[in-house]
Formats: sequence, structure tokens, C-alpha cells
Amino acid sequence: MDLKSTLNKYGVVGAGSFGIAIANLLAENGEVLLYARTEEQVKEINEKHFSRGYELNPGIKAIDNLKLIAQECQLIFPIIPSDNFVDFLDEIAPYLSPAHILIHGTKGLYTPKQLNTDTDIIKEEIYTMSELIQLKTGVIRVGCLAGPNLASELADKQPAATVIASKFNEVIKEGQNALTSNRFQVYGSNDILGIELAGVLKNYIAIASGMLSGLGYGENARALLITRGMGELIYIAKSLGASEKAFLGLAGIGDLIATCNSEKSRNFRVGYYLAKGKKIDEIIKEIGEVAEGIKTLQIVKLLQRYGFKAPIAEVLYRIIFEDFPIQKGINLLMSFTVSKDAEYI
Amino acid sequence: MPEQLKITKSLDPVIADIKEWPIYKLSQNKDSFLKEVIDLTIDSALSKFPSNNELHSEIKNILYQEKIRLTKTPWKSDSPSERIFWSEIKRKILECDKIEDEEQKHTSDLEILREILTFYGNEMVANFDPKKYKIAQKVLPFVFGRLMNASPGEKLKFLFASDKSIYDKFKITGPIDHIRNLAKKGTVIVVPTHFSNIDSPTIGFVIDIIGLPAMTYGAGINLFTIGILSRWLNDLGAYKLDRRRKNYIYLEFLRNYSKIAISRGAHSLFFPGGTRSRSGQIEKKLKLGLLGTALEAQRNNLQNFNEEVAKKVFIVPVVLNYHYIIEADSLISQHLSYEGKEQFIDEAEKISSSYKLLKTILKVLTANPGMTVSFAPPMDVIGNDVDFEGNSINNIGQKVEIKDYFSFNGKMTEDKQRDMVYTELLGKKIVDKFLTYNTVLSSHIVAFVAFELIKKQFNNLSIYQLLRIPTDEIEIDEFEFELEVSNIRQKLLDLYAEGKILMSERLKDADIDQVIKHGLKNLGVYHAQMPLIKNSSNNIITQDLKLLYFYHNRLLGYGLEKHFE
Repeated sequence: MDLKSTLNKYGVVGAGSFGIAIANLLAENGEVLLYARTEEQVKEINEKHFSRGYELNPGIKAIDNLKLIAQECQLIFPIIPSDNFVDFLDEIAPYLSPAHILIHGTKGLYTPKQLNTDTDIIKEEIYTMSELIQLKTGVIRVGCLAGPNLASELADKQPAATVIASKFNEVIKEGQNALTSNRFQVYGSNDILGIELAGVLKNYIAIASGMLSGLGYGENARALLITRGMGELIYIAKSLGASEKAFLGLAGIGDLIATCNSEKSRNFRVGYYLAKGKKIDEIIKEIGEVAEGIKTLQIVKLLQRYGFKAPIAEVLYRIIFEDFPIQKGINLLMSFTVSKDAEYI
Repeated sequence: MPEQLKITKSLDPVIADIKEWPIYKLSQNKDSFLKEVIDLTIDSALSKFPSNNELHSEIKNILYQEKIRLTKTPWKSDSPSERIFWSEIKRKILECDKIEDEEQKHTSDLEILREILTFYGNEMVANFDPKKYKIAQKVLPFVFGRLMNASPGEKLKFLFASDKSIYDKFKITGPIDHIRNLAKKGTVIVVPTHFSNIDSPTIGFVIDIIGLPAMTYGAGINLFTIGILSRWLNDLGAYKLDRRRKNYIYLEFLRNYSKIAISRGAHSLFFPGGTRSRSGQIEKKLKLGLLGTALEAQRNNLQNFNEEVAKKVFIVPVVLNYHYIIEADSLISQHLSYEGKEQFIDEAEKISSSYKLLKTILKVLTANPGMTVSFAPPMDVIGNDVDFEGNSINNIGQKVEIKDYFSFNGKMTEDKQRDMVYTELLGKKIVDKFLTYNTVLSSHIVAFVAFELIKKQFNNLSIYQLLRIPTDEIEIDEFEFELEVSNIRQKLLDLYAEGKILMSERLKDADIDQVIKHGLKNLGVYHAQMPLIKNSSNNIITQDLKLLYFYHNRLLGYGLEKHFE
């Protein structure tokens, strides 16, 4: 494979709000090629340096050609919805080599199986996005980005930090070189499974948080949800083979707090509208794509054979998929026998 | 499915002229080889112990540990001159203590370090004598062949037995042509499962049968104690390891020894599980230290030589299977008492003479009607498949260059942490291959089914409680046994069809009562207490539950035990 890459040339795949935010951060340290799917968006970015309500650094060049991205850049950041991830990998795989490094910013899980209530699923059939990259392409050096990184705040150049997780220190180092700036700190972690799970699982807690807001509850209730929710996420993660450490850091509790308080988050909005009495199908139609938290709930539900305790997921699942009344669900949660505080540590 | 080779004589050697064998060349260039290993180890020591003080106290630490080794765990193999050597080192360290000038002191430390490493090197280094090798090639098949023609109980007749070939004894499967071709193109690292002390002679012999050049491998220094064996091992290319030594510098020296040997093209053999599997189960976790040397050697070659010349390193997992493992009793006992603890138990020291080892080999060879040696398809150091010509083919079928795994933005770099992650991946791939290329024998299935049925009978007991049940409490109904052997065979056949395991011809094709009969007859045939026999009412009983457990464990890792839940 002919790789004409030069130093400090970064690829970003996905020109959504978070993809644009990452591209802007990268543009401060090097050249950026940004993949956008439609010709209009490519044109818009290259001519107006403006897209989806965000300004783009003029150093960012948009293209709609994945082959070119793979040929020009050895460090690539896929920042795309998890639903499109497999298609993206299949498309780019022929152009990737083991010399590439991929650091994704996608919070989702993949399973080749259909998510029906009677699906029989084992944990080996659930892939994190980094595992999916290794499965579908020849790239081994993978990493992920996770943390409280709301795109709108990054666009406002507010201070923030993220975690890059990878088994390879080299990936963390290259990612740090590419992203670090005086307003953006990049921490490293070798616990990629823990970090990816923290990023994914928190999504359904965000749905619950939106629900509390919709019902008009205040901060006591939200704090209760966040702390108990985190305990629940740790149980799930442990039964999938991760440790609790990641959950106590930026990508765990950090991201959980940010997402549970962000009214703009898709997951939060799903919960909010549910509390306002809308049906899930209407909400999905309105939001335009499936919120990640819903898929996560389905997977968590199917994985309960591994024996973890996940009352919040259980109740949410019944509310969303089985028309269980919300208030009754919350009463049910509040009636759980209280065990020790923070017993997961 | 890999076909079984029908080998009736040794295959032609891949390289006809022994003097062209890498192991011979290594032996011929011993001095420059050792110098390279020593220099490299000094570099590692300097980066591990960067300050003068750290290095100085590490050298003192080595001395201290060596003294403990010689006094607390002395072995017959310890040379008497060693004490003198270490006393001399002690004197030099004391002198060095007195030096005030930092630079001078450091120079003196480095001199002492080099002296220690030279000592290690001279002790460790393998010799390879083509003449001795040729003699061994001629004599061994004759001796082995004669030994094996005697059936159990007729040991004395072996000298007069009919002329059955030794080659019948080994059932060799796998892509032998492919491996032979790769041995011409690059460096082959054979990594077998490890269950018994006879694994080394078995695999050494099989490597010769299939025509590969002799391989270099590490053998415990305790095997070098007695005359003939010691000289043989050394002349056939084994290097000496002392497992009592745990100091960083020694372990680093050992790693560098392996790395440079591989880098210089010496085909190598090592047991990636480290020691023999105590539980009887196929290794789940490998020791990555030596395995990592293969990867580092590959990276070195690519960095130091151009692509045309840089030799590629190929990894070939091998699964060895026997009906009978002579040390089963002590292995499983150690497993049960040390369960969960990483303890080194040096039981090998008990084989204190070559006579005893030969006796062991004799016993095992006469007892085992067939030993299966299953070669898995070769891989590169990342764990990718390789084609006939040695090109790497990745998980999605792309032809890939190894150097890309070590490069970023067009530059190859050295990164120990990256090497470690790749080595972990390789380790996992090897474990997968061990499971996939495990050839199940009739004795394995009867042991597995019998133990699972007993476990089910006493299902409220923990494994430790279960193993203490008096054997006369245990009896398995013959019909139930036959039914379950048949069920498990069907499950194995399904796994076999999916390419997840191998089965002996007999286990695949014979009637189930024949499988059971053969299995019962051969399972652990020479133990004083039989793991499984039939009683007068034709039901199945055991005389030693621990042994049965050991042989049963061979089939763990495939989820077959779920059938009995």
C-alpha cells in the first residue's frame, strides 16, 4: 500500500457536531482532512468554514473520499454514530494497513445479532467500537476518546479535558500530541474496555435523568440517580470483564455528570419527552436517530444472564418497551431495599 | 481439516548439509554471539539502573542471591568452581566500595558486571556438534523402535521384537510441507504444549523426522548433571537455564540470548507455558517473556537489515497428546495444593540421572500406543496466518507487511510497551491454536465423561471435597457411561466439523464400545492405581480420583462440561 503520509496530518471521519469540535482541536496542531458524507456539506465547509451551526478552522479541508483520508493520514479519528460504524469500517478497510492508528469517539456497542427480547446473546457477541475496528480492519493500534466533551462547549473554546484509552502507550501519546492545547487537556489510560463501557453505559442513565427533569424533580433526585446509577454501571462493567477504575475518572463519573445535566443530549431528551407523555416511536422520529441509550438498554437487558444487579436499567426498559407507567417505575426504584453505600469499591 | 501424515521414514532434511544449519553456524560463531548478548544486556542494565548507585546495589544484590542459591538450594549440577568465582566477585565489589571517584567506581562496576555476564554466558551457551547429531540420528530411532515394539508387560522382549517401525508410534498431523518451506525462508519457532518431561525428546525427535534442522532450546541445568545425557544435550544444541536464578540481569541475559539467537536465524523451540501444565488442562495463560524475544528479534531484523535480507520469524504451535503421563500424580497434587499461586515447584530435580530419564522414556514409549503430535498452521509474530511463501495474511484476508506494525508515519520505531501488547495478542492466538489443534484421544473422552458423571453424582461437593471421597463409594453404571461417551463424542464431532478441535481416527470412526474399550485400556496405563477400570458387574470404577481428574481436565475449555449440568 502506498502511504504518502506526512507528519501532523490528521483524519477525522464524521462531520457532526463532535466531529467538527475534534477537527477544530486537531487543526491547532496540524493539517486536518475531514470526511463529510454529502457533497453539499463538503462544499459548505471548504467555502464557508461553517457547518451545523459551528465555525470551522480554515485549516480544515473537507472531502468525501475515505480512500484519500486513509492514504494521506495515518492517525484517523472516526467520530460517527454507532449505527454507521460497521458500514464505515467495511468501506475504509481496504485502504487501511497495520501502520494506521485509529482513535474513535463513538459511544456505542455492536452486536451482529438482532436485539429482540428472545435473542440469546453472550458477552463475546458484544463488541466495543475498538474491538469492532480490530475485527473488521487490519488495524490493531486502536484507541478511544471519552470524557465530558459536550460539542457546543468545545466550540465555545471553554476549558475541557478528555481521556484517550488504548492498550498501546504509543496511541495515547500520538493522540495527546494531536489534541492537546491550552484549553484542552488529554489524559491517558490503558484500560480501554473500562473507558469504552463507561462511555456507552452512561447513556441510559442520561435517559433516566431527562425523565426526572421532565417530571419536575430537582437536584437531590438527580444526584441520587447519578450515584446509584454509577454503582449499577460498575456492576455491569465488572461482569463484562472491566474494572471499576475507569468509572471513577473523567470518562466515568465526569461524563456521567455532564450528560445527566445536559438538556441538549439526545439521551436526556428521550427521557424528558417520555416523562411528558410522548411515546418512544414519536420521540425517535422527532430526534431523527435512535439515541444510543435505547440500544444500550436492550443489550443490558439481554446480558442479565450474567447475574448483575441493574434495577435502573430494568425499570427503564419496562417503561420504554413495555408501557410501564413512569411514576410507578420510580416508586418501584425507590422501594428497593437499601444496601450499603458505594459497596462496589 | 489437517490430514494425518503417513510417515514411514524420516523426510529428507530441508537443508542437507548440517554445516549450513543455523544452529551450527551459531555454535561456530559462539564468541561474537556471546559478545553481542553481553553488550545488549549491559545496555538493558544501564537503562534499568540508570544511576551509579542503583547499578552498584543491583550487582551486590546478584551476589547476595547467588550466595543464597548456592547455600540454600544447592544442586548437584552446581560446579565447585562457582563458589570461588562468586568469592572473587565479592572481593571485587568490596574493593569497588572503597573507590571514591564516581566515574572510576562506575567503570569498576561495569567491569564486574561484564565478568558476571561472561560467566553466565559460558555456562549457558549451547554447543552443536554435527558428528554427535548424526550419531544420535542413527542410534535413537533404532533404540526407540526396539523399545516400542514391546507391548506392555513384555519389556524384556523388546530386543527381539518384530521389525515394526518407530514411525508408527508418532501420529503427526499438520501442514508439514508448509513448515518445511518456511524453515528455508525464515526462522521457525516451535511452541508446544507442555505436560511431561518427555515432551522435549518427543518434539526433538519429531522435528528431525520431518526434516527440519535441529533447534536451539533451553534445558534446565539440572538435566545436565549426569555424564551421557549432559554431553548429549549440550552437543545437540541445548542451552542451560538455571531456574533458581531470578535476578533481573540473568533473566534479561536469557531473553537477549534467545533474541539474538533467533535474530541470527537459529530455529528455536520453547514451551510458552513455562513449566508443565500441573492441572492437565491445556495452557490458558502463557509466559510472555521468551515469546516476546521472537517478536523483538523480528523487529530487530526489520530495523537492521533491508527487507530482502531481513529474516522473517514464524511461530508454529504444536499440541502433544499422550494416553499416559508418567508424572500425572505429582503434577495434579501440586496443582491442588498450589492452586492459584504462582509458585515455581522444581520437581524436575527429582530426575537426577540420565538412567532415570531413559527409564521414563522407555516406560512411556512402551505404554503409549500412539503419541499424537499436531502441528498448527504457522503464524507471524503478530499472530497472522502466513501463506506458503511466508507472506502475512491478516484477519480480513489482506496481505500485510510486518514492518507496518512497528511503524508510524513511515518510520519504524522501537517501543517495548508496544512489543508487549503485541506479544500478549500472540499469546492469545497461540492458546487458541492449542485448543483448535488438540487431538482428542479415546482415553481423554472416557476420563472426561467418567469424572463429570462422578461430579454430577456428588453435585453438592466442592472439587476438593469430591477428590477426597473414598473410591469404593464411586461406581458408574456401564449403560449410562456408554450413553454419555456417545453424547460427548457427538459434541466433539460437531466441534470437529466446525474446525474447533481434532480427533484421533479411532475416536471419530470406531464403534462406541470400541472407543470405550480402547480408552479404558490405555488411560494412564502404567499408574499403580488405575484411573478407570471395569468391575465384575461391568460398571466403571476408579482407583484414583485425582488421576482421573487430571486426565479429565484435558478436555476443559470447550464448554463440554455444560452437558452435565
